[in-house]
Amino acid sequence: MAVVSAQQVTGERSAGGFWAWLMAPERRGPLLVTPALLVLFVMNIFPLLWSFGLSFFNYRANRQTVPTFEGLQFYQRVLTDENVWERFQTTAIIVGSSVLVQLIVGFLLALMFARSFPLRRILLMLVLTPMMLSFVSVGVFFKLYYEPTFGLVSWALNHFMDERFVLLATPAGAIAGIVFADAWMWSPFVMLLVLAGLVSVPKYLYEAAEIDRASWWRRFSTITFPYIKSLLLLAVLFRTIETFKLFDIVYIITEGGPGSATETIAVYVYRQAFQFFRTSQSAALAYIILFVVIVLTNLYLYAVQRREQEVT
Amino acid sequence: MTIELLQLTKQFGKLTAVDRIDLKIGEGEVLCLLGPSGCGKTTTLRMIAGLEFASDGEIRLGDVRVNELAARERNVAMTFQFYALYPSLTVAENLAYPLHAEALSAGEIARRVDQIARILQLGPVLKRRPGQLAEGEKQRVAVGRSIIRDAVCFLFDEPLSRLDVQLRETMRGEIKAVLEGLNKPTVIVTHDQLEALTMADRIAVMRDGRIEQVASPHEIFARPANLFVAGFIGTPQMNLLPVKLVDRTTDGVRFALGEATVILPVNGATSALRPSAALTIGVRPRAFDLAAQPAPDTIAARVDIIEPMGAETLLHLLAGEHELRVVVDRRTRPAIGSTVHLRCKPNQLHLFGTDEQRLDLRTVPAGVPA
Amino acid sequence: MAAAARRGRQRELGKAGWGWTALVAVVSIIYFFPVLWIILTAFKTRTDALAIPPKLFFTPTLDNFIGVFYRASISAGGAQETNFPLYFFNSIFIAGTSVLLALIVGTLAAYAFSRHPLRGNDTYLFIILTTRMMPPIVVIIPIFLMFRLSGLAGSYWGIILLYTAFNIPFSVWLVKSFFDELNPEIEDAARMDGATERQVFFGMCLPQILAGLAATFVFGLILTWNEFLFALLLTGVDTRTVPVAMARTLGGEVGVDYGLLAAIVTLFLIPIFFVTFLLQNQLLRGVTFGTVKR
Repeated sequence: MAVVSAQQVTGERSAGGFWAWLMAPERRGPLLVTPALLVLFVMNIFPLLWSFGLSFFNYRANRQTVPTFEGLQFYQRVLTDENVWERFQTTAIIVGSSVLVQLIVGFLLALMFARSFPLRRILLMLVLTPMMLSFVSVGVFFKLYYEPTFGLVSWALNHFMDERFVLLATPAGAIAGIVFADAWMWSPFVMLLVLAGLVSVPKYLYEAAEIDRASWWRRFSTITFPYIKSLLLLAVLFRTIETFKLFDIVYIITEGGPGSATETIAVYVYRQAFQFFRTSQSAALAYIILFVVIVLTNLYLYAVQRREQEVT
Repeated sequence: MTIELLQLTKQFGKLTAVDRIDLKIGEGEVLCLLGPSGCGKTTTLRMIAGLEFASDGEIRLGDVRVNELAARERNVAMTFQFYALYPSLTVAENLAYPLHAEALSAGEIARRVDQIARILQLGPVLKRRPGQLAEGEKQRVAVGRSIIRDAVCFLFDEPLSRLDVQLRETMRGEIKAVLEGLNKPTVIVTHDQLEALTMADRIAVMRDGRIEQVASPHEIFARPANLFVAGFIGTPQMNLLPVKLVDRTTDGVRFALGEATVILPVNGATSALRPSAALTIGVRPRAFDLAAQPAPDTIAARVDIIEPMGAETLLHLLAGEHELRVVVDRRTRPAIGSTVHLRCKPNQLHLFGTDEQRLDLRTVPAGVPA
Repeated sequence: MAAAARRGRQRELGKAGWGWTALVAVVSIIYFFPVLWIILTAFKTRTDALAIPPKLFFTPTLDNFIGVFYRASISAGGAQETNFPLYFFNSIFIAGTSVLLALIVGTLAAYAFSRHPLRGNDTYLFIILTTRMMPPIVVIIPIFLMFRLSGLAGSYWGIILLYTAFNIPFSVWLVKSFFDELNPEIEDAARMDGATERQVFFGMCLPQILAGLAATFVFGLILTWNEFLFALLLTGVDTRTVPVAMARTLGGEVGVDYGLLAAIVTLFLIPIFFVTFLLQNQLLRGVTFGTVKR
């Protein structure tokens, strides 16, 4: 018993010493940051490095063969693959048109909600709801709405058309269907962003414009727009990065079809990895996507800084 | 052109911010709305501008009732407390901004901008944006933007409050010079009495939504209409002493101040001065002389704190339980704790009744019996 | 009276009346219509759900909602309970815990980044942001392998830890921007008065950014609530979340049961809707990544 308690004492003392060492002021910053970085390292950065490694080896997740080192072969294969470039183009078209629609719709919605009026809070909730739905449900129900026989959209449009309306049968129609669903879901996000910009415009500027008898357009172009333009840039970049990841909606609504007309790069990687088990090749492709995203992120940060300078 | 306010009232819910005020600002007249924060002066200004709408009463610009007109329809010019310069436009564009509503040619606009820039010495900074300007320059741009067009009146909301002391002095002069050339009714809102005293033709002192007094700066200083104005105008603050009338003498009237009595040179014949009436007597800190000996017409006070102010010295004295502020020449140096004897200068006494209003008294000419 | 009538057109800047409300209401309801249709479908019978022309008015039924929790089964003698209560619990538990964890860990890190900058502070912040921007598809293979090897697959902790990692970048950046807005002089003053670092952090800083923390929480919740891809790959039978379970109802032998799916979607929408409604104002603030200063 006595021995044990003596051990406890020394144990406590050394723990106290370690505790004191750990709690020293110069270690405060690193100490507070550690848990966050640790989680990120285990769950994001380590897998990232792993897949970086995978991209140099010939590895298939569904086979037990020993991987062989292949160097940059997979990168070469991906970059020279016409399919990949086609998927990038598809992605660019979908991302471009969806973000454009989101921007316009979100902006108009924000203009509507920038003033104060009765029931504003409740109506705002109605517009925000699409953002809270899961991709799965948006995908399934928009697929139903587009469905030629039972779909709402088709039913409505059949009144104006002679032929039966089959939206998802043509490449352009399928892209339009995806863009419509995605833009519907995420325009409220752009709206929130723009709204935040609109409410940050000091009220006295509008008062001054009122005194100066500025026209609606002049007021918008000289006061409102400068205040939200960098936020619009933020919205474009953020939504571009997010839409770049677009997977669930496409997968459910069109499964990449007709043909490969709506197969985005994310769907393509998923197929490569989990249908064809070309693990290494998909890892190499993933890295190329990551590179694109890092470039976009840099632009995003640039926009954030611009915004900070303008506001202060 | 004139500005006329008739029984003007503004209510925010249950709060009455401006309470039935009447005011007329003549052609070319500069009127300062002066008062502590929250007294309703800015609300009054904004109602004239059309940025707030009156709950009751009438606003007339010239002969026209403008209550129902939006700001843009009233053709008023206003400078804002925070200048409200358009951050994305250059100084020149800011100055030209109000002119776009008037469908002028580009050449005419450029000419007017040049002219204003010359008057306000903004030439070197015309190409800059507001973010790159010093406070004083921003202020001048704000003024320039309001005087560049032919508005019916000019409104200034705390025009100098964001400037440092030195800049404030020079800008005060500049604005005054500019305003004199305009010959339009002008309303300046300020909480700074020095600003009001130097720039205004008339001052309207406001408290709790009401106008306490409207008069020329001189009149307001020399004959404050009530206790509030007396205490608000003048630095250091006027001494306000509660007194009771004891009796009348040939030299004036004997008052009781706490335990002591003092004879002050006022005409006791005034009917308001009934014996034992509770009054407040107001004496400015500079309206005392130091007497060598105690006398029936002096107040004895003990020196408590001495504050040198450069050319003068401010003494904080205790007369019984009453605190007195007295400004003396810097060469007068009483010791702390010593007793001094104060004699009020004739003609510089203010008396207020129980209703806090000024009692108009003739003062007793020195040495002449009443 | 004439004066009152004239006052009718007086309007202060930025304020609008019921006319504007009517306009916005029309637009909002059109915008909301696809959601409304889902909610209506939840109350329809199978025939009504797919009726052409579509039925806006119908006899509502609760069968779909009952169907979420009970499944007709001959062997169990009539009705058998489904696992949906478990899935709902899983979704709330996993999303709630991971967002909260990310908020705690993120707040600590944000405080350090804001008040005790490290060497290479901006680099760390950039790396953290990049992990958020990264398409999940980039790491999905190694994470899948990692979870399989470590036995985390199918456990609560695995998916919670993963979602925590997804939410940390947001939390760090948002909360840091809130800390940056505080005046450090007040904290120094408190230190001068003998407050310990812990008191400064918990007593001075945190209370001032409570609204910001709420915004961060609700934002993380919206982003986590509906996550599908990783939940599909990494949750097991016991830890399955609602989006995954929802997707599994699609593969029935008689096609998609839209009424049932709509009922699940409706039920699943309720919690997040109310959290968002309560914290609406804070959400507006937090949405710009904290870059809009007030």
